[in-house]
Amino acid sequence: MIGRPVDRVDGRIKVTGAAPYAADTKIPGVTCGYLVTSTIGRGRLTGMDTAAALASPGVLAVYTPFNPLKLFAYVQEQNDERFPPLQDTEIRFFGQAIGFVVAETWEQARDAAGLVTATYDQQPPVTEFPGRTLQAFEEVEEVVGTQTVGDITFTASYTTPFQHHCAMEPHATVATWNGDHLTVYTVSQGALLVQRRLSETLGVDAAKIHVLSPHVGGGFGGKWGNWAQVPLACAASRALGRPVKAVLTREQVFAMAGHRPRTKQTLAMTCTEDGKLTSIVNDGVTSRGLGGNWSESVANWTLTTYASPNLRVTKTVVPLNLGAATVMRAPGEANGSFALESAMDELAAQLGVDPVELRLRNYATLVPNTGKPWSGKHLDECYRLGAEEFGWSKRPKQVRATADGDWLVGTGMATATYGASRGQASIKVRLHPDGTASVSGTAADLGTGQYTVFAILAADELGIPVTRVRPDLGDSTSPAAANAGGSNSTCTNGPAVQVAAKAVQTELITLATTNPRSPFYGKEVSYRDGSVSSGGLTMSFGTLLTTCDVGGVEAVGTSPRLVDPEHGFRSFGAHFCEVRVHRLTGEPRVTRWLSVCDAGTIVNAKAARSQIQGAVVMGIGQALLEATEVDVSARFTNANLASYLVPVHADIPRIDVRFLDHSDPVISGLGAKGIGELGIVGVAGAIANAVHHATGVRVRDLPITLDKLL
Amino acid sequence: MHAFDYAAASTVRGALDLAGPGSAFLAGGTTLVDLMKLDVLTPDRVIDVNALPLKGIRLHDGALRIGALERMSDVAAHPVVRSVHPVISKALLLSASGQVRNMASIGGNLMQRTRCDYFRDVTSACNKRRPGSGCPALTGVNRNHAVLGTSDSCVATHASDVAVAFVALDAQVVLRSKDGDRVAPLEEFYRLPGSTPDRENVLGPGELIAEVVVPVLPWARHSTYLKIRDRQSYEFALTSVAAAVDVKRGVVQDVRLAAGGVAAKPWRLRAVEEALKGGVAIERTFAEAAESAVDGARPLAHNAFKTALLKRTIVRALLDAAGAR
Ligand SMILES: Cc1cc2nc3c(=O)[nH]c(=O)nc-3n(C[C@H](O)[C@H](O)[C@H](O)COP(=O)(O)OP(=O)(O)OC[C@H]3O[C@@H](n4cnc5c(N)ncnc54)[C@H](O)[C@@H]3O)c2cc1C
Ligand code: SF4
Repeated sequence: MIGRPVDRVDGRIKVTGAAPYAADTKIPGVTCGYLVTSTIGRGRLTGMDTAAALASPGVLAVYTPFNPLKLFAYVQEQNDERFPPLQDTEIRFFGQAIGFVVAETWEQARDAAGLVTATYDQQPPVTEFPGRTLQAFEEVEEVVGTQTVGDITFTASYTTPFQHHCAMEPHATVATWNGDHLTVYTVSQGALLVQRRLSETLGVDAAKIHVLSPHVGGGFGGKWGNWAQVPLACAASRALGRPVKAVLTREQVFAMAGHRPRTKQTLAMTCTEDGKLTSIVNDGVTSRGLGGNWSESVANWTLTTYASPNLRVTKTVVPLNLGAATVMRAPGEANGSFALESAMDELAAQLGVDPVELRLRNYATLVPNTGKPWSGKHLDECYRLGAEEFGWSKRPKQVRATADGDWLVGTGMATATYGASRGQASIKVRLHPDGTASVSGTAADLGTGQYTVFAILAADELGIPVTRVRPDLGDSTSPAAANAGGSNSTCTNGPAVQVAAKAVQTELITLATTNPRSPFYGKEVSYRDGSVSSGGLTMSFGTLLTTCDVGGVEAVGTSPRLVDPEHGFRSFGAHFCEVRVHRLTGEPRVTRWLSVCDAGTIVNAKAARSQIQGAVVMGIGQALLEATEVDVSARFTNANLASYLVPVHADIPRIDVRFLDHSDPVISGLGAKGIGELGIVGVAGAIANAVHHATGVRVRDLPITLDKLL
Repeated sequence: MHAFDYAAASTVRGALDLAGPGSAFLAGGTTLVDLMKLDVLTPDRVIDVNALPLKGIRLHDGALRIGALERMSDVAAHPVVRSVHPVISKALLLSASGQVRNMASIGGNLMQRTRCDYFRDVTSACNKRRPGSGCPALTGVNRNHAVLGTSDSCVATHASDVAVAFVALDAQVVLRSKDGDRVAPLEEFYRLPGSTPDRENVLGPGELIAEVVVPVLPWARHSTYLKIRDRQSYEFALTSVAAAVDVKRGVVQDVRLAAGGVAAKPWRLRAVEEALKGGVAIERTFAEAAESAVDGARPLAHNAFKTALLKRTIVRALLDAAGAR
């Protein structure tokens, strides 16, 4: 069953609208909260007038830093805001939460929020990047070897803009208290992340906080952290004794719910005449929003990609008056690979070597910065299979060599790699008298297919059809499983599902042999394909439970964290693409795509292909369209989905995805590594390389828009 | 969103009677409701005009007449429009999305507001929205802004696509008020921003657009609309060109050209038209003629590329239009 294409088990309820998303939660008597946000980028609040809002119809309360809801300081680092909302008067960014209006209806709350006025002691916000800044600081991330030696030198700088996750579902939280017990329906990439944050900031025992996040309409990192609406809805609900729902507007999501930071990488590489790298230095610069702590280690991808005896990577952090920068699909790698994969293409051209061949000459058989062996690496096979299937050998060596009518045609390729690891996860499997099995853990499905992974692995282990497994995710009362982040879900939770599904068989056998009502009482039995057998007698577990008059058997299985200091773990892949650029008007359009991936065992061929395709789509956006602009006021000026351009169908060609499907026996018995982020890594580089091949123009600044190609 | 009264009119007279200061006509609502949600427009009274008889697409007296309440999708699909003035249909089909086109009316389309992100954000200054407050786009993020017809008060583009096709074809609008009907060439219906960018057109208060009248131009059966944008679909134009060209024996006899995405209003390219007439219909002629398109252009920090792009868009549109026969 593992590795076959399986339809999503939650597909039907999603497309029919039956899947309950956080904002859909209906609680009688629910009130609505609406955030008031700052209209300056830096300074201090000197006063707020809430009288008109309080007098507005339906308004129950208006909270501000001058009339706050008590929230304790944030302790845990969750890549989100550093400070709980409304606890101080400092303005760190434009669109920061400065008030929370609660009213009977959403419209009343929004109208009243519009009546709140604020006065400020204003300072000019810092938005220039890399520019003159207040407090930029540099750290040396890692140095391997010493000197830079080699005959041939290549140096260039690459820059990337602010970007936003743009998940379809905006951030929503519904909170309700029963005595001192809190129930929270919210968007999240991990129910436990919410529980921990709320426990510390509300001062409530985590055991009394029940978080439910069964369906999430896209996260991409933007729902890892807990943004202002989460603690405010919970604290207001506690104060008012009424359930509170808070949903961010799209503009608020842009301003306060995280973004991909701006980056700059300056790469200096040396190599021998035959193209063997002798040193790579990557000086990375990343912005950090003063709303948060997080910044990108953008240059670090250079440490693990190509073999080079000398490596040096630095990170300079540039704090800006913006909301928190946060993780966004392949944080570090998506931007990092754009620079190195472009530079490898440039170096290949400089040397007159084919880009695939240059990568093979610098193939890292050991982890470049540690010298450790890989748990499994078949990247060379990705290159070769990809080149063959794509027809790479027919590629003209010269740039601007192919035209189709008025369109210049070029091809490009790039490497993809993304780190893999296996954390600890616990999963519960319960067998029911109706012949179904339920599988639960705190894991999240953001649209990734995690529900279906649970169903497939449990069905496989139990020997029953996928349709008889009911996965149950996003509930903080379930055993602690992996959050959806770092491409970690399947490689961490998958083995735990297998362990739990095995453990429940032992429980079932114990019941079968020790329950006096069981026909197997006192016998030697075995379990196979959903049934218990002994001698000539076989009975399905559902019938057995019914016969024994038992409501179910269950077991919690834990798969421990993998501690393996011996190996390096990564998923690998290679992208090949064709791009067309109009000779007169310059617009670049991607017309052909092939990705070959080596990501260990593939659990669901269908959802895995969708993950890679989705990541390539996002990468095409990164390469050609997406950039959030900031002006002197420190406002993201295009904070809406009409002006911030994500790709539409017409921008996307057929995306061909192949999996090598080499199991990784070192990471787990299941052998699965991550695929959630791998697919976006290298996409922008491959496109930049194809644009160069088509036009002869090298664009080192994303996005590659037509004005850069005229 | 501010509280407002809603009234539905069933006759033109009724609609005009309901209109007053602070009222707004509601057609498809794809501009009006959008901007009301953003607090950019705050009418006290919304007058639903959808039941008015301002409908119909017909050929009459040598002109194509389109009722102001016809939906963009219906106009785009209409066989007469497609055969007489395909450029109108093409401009509409490259506008917005299928869903928006099903709601949006032709009258509303001509009245749509600029997509300047400062105009749409009420925390920003904007001379168009709040006269005298300033224009942050002049020195701010202005990649999408205009290079032609702008002023020191406002550099916004007019965002309509179909208006560009209409202006190329010398279309007129029939305006209806309590005083009766008047007719204005669409090109003159729009005003340049000057020092009053809040006054975008000559429509009087409580006056309705009743009809668009497009003279038939036999050779314009071969016409095209070319829209250049970053995203392949569902985006406003960086540049666009409506082109109709009459070529006989390889020589340009007559031509109509107008541009969008680059100017404060739909921009007729008369100097380019003149330069083309009598010229050989080849790329070099087109490129030479296109040079004058950007005479007087005032590029800003981020949109200087639009002058080059406009010239190239003209050439490409002319190649398309000339090659279509
Ligand atoms: C997401 C999106 C993308 C878009 N993309 C494009 C695009 O690519 N190209 C393009 O051209 N347009 C585009 N548009 C704009 C769209 O075409 C207009 O919103 C639409 O045509 C307006 O028509 P409506 O009937 O909905 O007008 P409404 O919103 O009902 O009205 C708009 C304005 O016109 C007034 N009005 C309406 N009818 C009359 C009348 N008969 N007489 C006088 N005043 C009247 C109203 O009072 C209001 O001020 C887009 C819109 C959206 C929302
Ligand atoms: S360009 Fe015009 S619409 Fe935009 S901010 Fe300036 S005045 Fe307002």
